[in-house]
Amino acid sequence: MTRKRMLLLSVLLILGLVIGGCTAPASPSGATSEEPAATEAPAAAAPAGPFEPMVYAAENCDYGGLFKSMEAVDEQTVKFTLCYPDVAFPAKVAFSAFAINDADYLEATGGGGDLIENPNGTGPYTLAEWRRGDQMIFQRNENYWGEKAIPATVVFRWGAESAQRLVELQAGTVDGIDGVGADDFATIEDDANLQLALRSGTNVFYLGMNNKFPPFDNERVRQAFAMGIDRQRLIDNFYPPGSSLATQFMPPSIFGYSQGQEWYEYNPEEAKKILEEEGVLPGFKTTITYRDVVRGYLPNPGIVAQDIQAQLADLGVEAEIVVMESGSFLTAANDGEIDGFHMLGWGADYPDATNFLDYHFGPGASAQFGAGFPDIWEALKEGSTKATPEERQPFYDTANELIKQHVPMIPVAHGGNAAAFKADVEGAYASDIGAEQFALMNPGGREALVWMQNAEPIGLYCADETDGETLRACEQVMQSLLAYEPGTAAVIPSLATEWSANEDLTEWTFTLRDGVTFHNGATLDANDVVLSYAVQWDASHPLHVGNSGQFSYFSSLFNGLLNAPAAE
Amino acid sequence: MTTSAVTTLPTPVEPIFNTKPRGLWSTAFHRLFHRRSAIIGMIILGCLLFIAVFAPFLATHDPVQSQIGIVDVQKRAAPCIRLFGCPADQPEFFFGTDGNVRDLYSRVLYGARLSLMVGILSVGFAIVIGAFIGAVSAYAGGYIDNLLMGLMDILLAFPSLILAIAIVTVLGPGLINTLLAIGIVSIPVYARIMRSSVLSIKQQDYVLAGQSIGSSSRRILLQNILPNALTPLVVQGTLGIAVAILDAAALSFLGLGAQPPTPEWGSMIGQERNQVFTAPHLIIFPGIALILTVLGFNLLGDGLRDALDVRQRS
Repeated sequence: MTRKRMLLLSVLLILGLVIGGCTAPASPSGATSEEPAATEAPAAAAPAGPFEPMVYAAENCDYGGLFKSMEAVDEQTVKFTLCYPDVAFPAKVAFSAFAINDADYLEATGGGGDLIENPNGTGPYTLAEWRRGDQMIFQRNENYWGEKAIPATVVFRWGAESAQRLVELQAGTVDGIDGVGADDFATIEDDANLQLALRSGTNVFYLGMNNKFPPFDNERVRQAFAMGIDRQRLIDNFYPPGSSLATQFMPPSIFGYSQGQEWYEYNPEEAKKILEEEGVLPGFKTTITYRDVVRGYLPNPGIVAQDIQAQLADLGVEAEIVVMESGSFLTAANDGEIDGFHMLGWGADYPDATNFLDYHFGPGASAQFGAGFPDIWEALKEGSTKATPEERQPFYDTANELIKQHVPMIPVAHGGNAAAFKADVEGAYASDIGAEQFALMNPGGREALVWMQNAEPIGLYCADETDGETLRACEQVMQSLLAYEPGTAAVIPSLATEWSANEDLTEWTFTLRDGVTFHNGATLDANDVVLSYAVQWDASHPLHVGNSGQFSYFSSLFNGLLNAPAAE
Repeated sequence: MTTSAVTTLPTPVEPIFNTKPRGLWSTAFHRLFHRRSAIIGMIILGCLLFIAVFAPFLATHDPVQSQIGIVDVQKRAAPCIRLFGCPADQPEFFFGTDGNVRDLYSRVLYGARLSLMVGILSVGFAIVIGAFIGAVSAYAGGYIDNLLMGLMDILLAFPSLILAIAIVTVLGPGLINTLLAIGIVSIPVYARIMRSSVLSIKQQDYVLAGQSIGSSSRRILLQNILPNALTPLVVQGTLGIAVAILDAAALSFLGLGAQPPTPEWGSMIGQERNQVFTAPHLIIFPGIALILTVLGFNLLGDGLRDALDVRQRS
């Protein structure tokens, strides 16, 4: 045990030294300085002898998070006890940030380092080689528990410009590309050698307004703008096929969508009249702020911004366009510092209303739209604690109706986007949530399938990553307890074959699949699951290292980390 | 010597060495109009000036007005000209439409105004400040010279575009700030040129002669030094306008210069850079306009340099 601990500490130390740009070798005397951190380490060893079930529990639920305890009941059974009911729990568990790692490997890597560079998962592929800045090569896992992967090799490449990716696909150097440019859809459809794989828009693009800044503090003014923007014109002119007009914040294919609800009718005269009545016109000057990055919900940011600017000019509003760097834009938006309109969107992490509505309009939402709306909070709270979809839907109908009344933002579009493949790739598809399984595709009988995406994956320990391009790479190697059905977003068994909850949805029991082995040969057991979750959950856990140490998905989907540092 | 003096001479055959002596500028213009490249440059710039002045009459549409809902036309529509077989049932757009369904032809025309304005104003600003700094530096000498030229060296040490980006980042994006930034980064060139010409002219006999007969230093500076020091500045300034226009276009390409919906060539190219393959006309037309403008200034600048270069006169 102590040897392991020392090993862990030296790995940590080496990591620290490497980061610090220092070349001094790790010394035992240096390791002692980190000893206090390790004293809190729980008994987390996975012994070679008889199975010792691992239990990890919070003292109480005061920390505000979802989890109360996670325990290994026996070798094949894991039980999660929650502080309050969560009907979307299986959908969250299936998310790729919560992939299961081998407990021994977690300890050996110290929660970072090799965990990021050399993932050890249960998936259909193993990472063969990662040439940083060039490509990532996956080999078929011959010991995979399920159906073996079809292509023996999958290669990930990346390029930031959509035109560049298309040229590579046309030249035949890659088998599939992601992020087809909004103007290239027709080119690909007309090319007999290529096929287009559409993703339906499980996202929403909206024009946000912060009610902290006058005149946006006036609900009638916000409603007037909701009438004054011709959203259909934006979709007709600047969105690719597969996109649809947003009638509300929720996309149609995700639970929580209110059938039959309509947004305000486009009526510029009425809008102008209200704005004049409220004293906003004439002579109102404002800003349109956005970040110049292409996302599925916003394929043409600059052009859409200019069209909204032109539409506002028709209303008599003079709007200046402000472009911000992506990171500072998000920070400023979340801190509620952006006056005027801001162009932002949201893509589904998991298919449930809570991922859309609670995140933006719940009591814990950021200051993006200024002060929240208590009547919306009420409806959302009721909706998340009911057990069945039929019971929940009325509350989300209410919430969507209230959002329409208060207009914290103007929902514009559900942007369709697409991947493209060579025509001979059998089983090619694009996942709505960006989780393509290349194991299921047959690249025309070729040994290798080459995939070109927007950007290089950041690290392969996806518990601590949020970037979609990174998650896709993890998903080839790592697996979660549950999974999303390819092509749809339904939750299906993966490492767990069965799951069930008690009456009030606070105790969830998962039965693990028999005979699953990790790439390093270790067998999957319940302790692997508990430790994989616990290192993410407990911010003071010695293995809570990761890449940045933020573990954002665990924190946001399960409402916070245990022992989270008070600084945040 | 005047023309009348020449004509009153009864000599039927003029000796070669007795040709009419001309002033510096008269000679320069004479030489300028005999250089083909300079004439081409002047023609291009003349057209450009004409376009810039009469843009509202030449344009077919409002350059910032989106044609959605007004004319039945697609975004990024290809050029369609009646004269070259544009079908009657299609709306006519000389250069096609851009990503926001605005008329590209009108935008390119109006872009000439902006580019000329940015080029001339920023270089004018730089010449005024730079010439002043250079003249003071050369005339005062000593530690003032060292200090001023040290400052100029520091400015010169930065790549000009990077420095301009830094200045715009601090001042905030926008056309006026772009103008200022480009002006500031071009100051050192003019300061150095001014200083070196003043230094060399200071040693000329006619300046020494002026000093010896007791002319005031102000008179020497204005009458003797400045006119002779001006020629390299004019040449460099003409070439500098081309660089300034390119720099402004580069800044706008990066989204730091002219803000939408202002029709600026650089930002027009920047916004549509991903459409090189699908709608090349959106890149080609503003690109050609930019190339012609820069070419015009460069040809004129080269011609001026040849025309004004004292060493070639013999």
